[in-house]
Amino acid sequence: MGRMKDFRLYVITGENYHPGRTLREVMEAALRGGADFLQLRDKNASKRELLEKAKMLRELTRSYGVPFVVNDHPDVALAVDADGVHLGQDDLPLAAARSLLGPDRIIGISTHSIEQAREAQRQGADYIGVGPVFPTGTKPGRAAVTTAYVAQAAAEIRSIPFVAIGGITPDNAGEVLAAGATRLCAVSAVVGSPDPEAVCRRLLARIEECSEAKAAGAGPDALRTVTVNGQAKPTSAGSLWELAAQLGLAEKRVVAEMNGAIVPKAEWRTTALPAGATVEFVHFVGGG
Amino acid sequence: MLDDVSREERYSRQIRFAPIGAEGQRRLGVGAVLIAGTGALGASLAQHMVRAGVGTVRLVDRDYVEPSNLQRQALFDEEDARAALPKAVAAAGKLTRINGGIRIEAHVADIGIHNVDGLLEGIDLVLDGTDNAETRLTLSDACYDRGIPLVYGGVAGSEGMTAALVPGATACLRCLIGGDNAETDGDRTCDAVGVISPAVEMIAALQAAEALKWLSGRRSLMRRSWIGMDVWSFSVRESRLPEPRAGCPVCGAAGAAAERGSPAGKQPGSAAIVGAGASAGEGAGWRAVADGSLRMGMESGPGDGERSGAGMDAGETKHGMEREAGASAVLLCGRDTVQVTLAVPVPLAEARSRLAGSDGELLADNAYLLKWSVPGGERIVLFSDGRALVQGTADEERAIRLCQEYLQERREPAWAE
Repeated sequence: MGRMKDFRLYVITGENYHPGRTLREVMEAALRGGADFLQLRDKNASKRELLEKAKMLRELTRSYGVPFVVNDHPDVALAVDADGVHLGQDDLPLAAARSLLGPDRIIGISTHSIEQAREAQRQGADYIGVGPVFPTGTKPGRAAVTTAYVAQAAAEIRSIPFVAIGGITPDNAGEVLAAGATRLCAVSAVVGSPDPEAVCRRLLARIEECSEAKAAGAGPDALRTVTVNGQAKPTSAGSLWELAAQLGLAEKRVVAEMNGAIVPKAEWRTTALPAGATVEFVHFVGGG
Repeated sequence: MLDDVSREERYSRQIRFAPIGAEGQRRLGVGAVLIAGTGALGASLAQHMVRAGVGTVRLVDRDYVEPSNLQRQALFDEEDARAALPKAVAAAGKLTRINGGIRIEAHVADIGIHNVDGLLEGIDLVLDGTDNAETRLTLSDACYDRGIPLVYGGVAGSEGMTAALVPGATACLRCLIGGDNAETDGDRTCDAVGVISPAVEMIAALQAAEALKWLSGRRSLMRRSWIGMDVWSFSVRESRLPEPRAGCPVCGAAGAAAERGSPAGKQPGSAAIVGAGASAGEGAGWRAVADGSLRMGMESGPGDGERSGAGMDAGETKHGMEREAGASAVLLCGRDTVQVTLAVPVPLAEARSRLAGSDGELLADNAYLLKWSVPGGERIVLFSDGRALVQGTADEERAIRLCQEYLQERREPAWAE
């Protein structure tokens, strides 16, 4: 596997999302927030511009110990000693890229169906992208594959990592994770945010919560998705009290509402948490 | 009082509002409301009730006016802050000038189990303007016990919450937020996160509307929901309130809120306004209606005329018994202030003379309280009901020692060894 390392939060550049801020400051903020895989994607830059950006990001990611790949351009990747490339379905075929890059460098492939995923795995891809899960401005016009494909990939793609991509935000990450993803990729949600670092932390927190829930429960089957304070969240909790406990709220002075009605605190333990429930936990406001 | 203006004229716009009408106005005039806490929410609530012509408006507050209150506590001005007047007294002073035709009572007291029964005597509805969950739970328990609705309100930052809790119709506050008094770390208070005035007015307006419905007899129109709002980001969330919980000893056992406000008995407008005309010192034409031990302290204060009969005697007894245990202290959450309750209340006159021979520097001295600073930097505010607020410390033991040093028999302070 050479330069490949496992990762959880994959971030791709998108300079059009942050006018007025430099590529370096935005990507460094993402790295500070915990992004642990970086891709340079710029379909509009000249090769020279791309090379300059790649050099800068190579240096930056190296200081964070994070793998760095270049979209679509093995020559640029080699020139800056990037860890590899990421290829779309219409880019250079995987075998051709491999012959240029050698066995150690990373080659990732975008896939939009389980057939493409199987093919990429068979040909020796180091990881695959699975998406777009939701409609996205980064890939306009491409139909979203929905979380159904994420679930398929989770069931079938076992020998290499897959990362869910496309329109993922902290608010909808729970749904994607509940479908079986363990790694997320974000573009606009991170680089388009005024605070990329915070968004990365929130995404990682979602991933962490989900993996804890899976460890606590009996696997993804035991997870139900509920909406907690406006965010989709996979949980193994069977009751409102268990959900509050998982969120560290069971002992706090908190008002709980489920599906539009306040649930008395004494009934939290006996209130079942159905899949799809909408729950609001609100800290009691005490000033007067 | 506007003697030459008829009630019909004074309240004409409210009477013209069909859901209230003449009958609703008459009921308001014989209604009695307790404003629990006369800070930001309380001052606004009190003004709504007084202007609307609610027959009796009883104010109770444990605190005094400080400059940091003026940004949002609508009834107070710079003179009140300079004079360090108790909030209930300062509020009552303004409110009588707004409406001289109703009864307004001011109680300088900390609401607790020792006095809550007395404070609720004759009350039809309680408007919550307190600043902590513990007092609210005490009020909720007592209100459900007596079948009196409690309209909860809370604000912090730019957000607020409110709900009308009605015995027999909705669950009590203890059921909604949990009863364990130790669970305070999640509370959002003004002292922790600040507060802006529009958030206060937003919540007070919603509380006042429910109070007007209840007191004017339009009880079926009460909103059966918990509302959370943010006036800065603008969001509103409305959740249905659960019914009384069968297993709860407070709301499960409570009968329906009593149907009161019958025209017999009370005479709107005829009751003397408590304290009006009393020659209290410090330029305040007001004196507190005393509860329990406060009355004791008031007897040595200036301007203490004949006391009004607010029926606090039961509270006095409980209060006295509780005090035999000795001085107790409680940290006021998020305020860097400890409230010390002395075993034996020290009359203000006695405290004043003790202070004269000490190193304490007198900062305020009026009919209701003494405020002085000590060399360690703390400020002590002694109320005539035996409570002292020690500001500038979160150390309960130090607060008690300071009070003992300045208010009790001379002894070497334990910490100065």
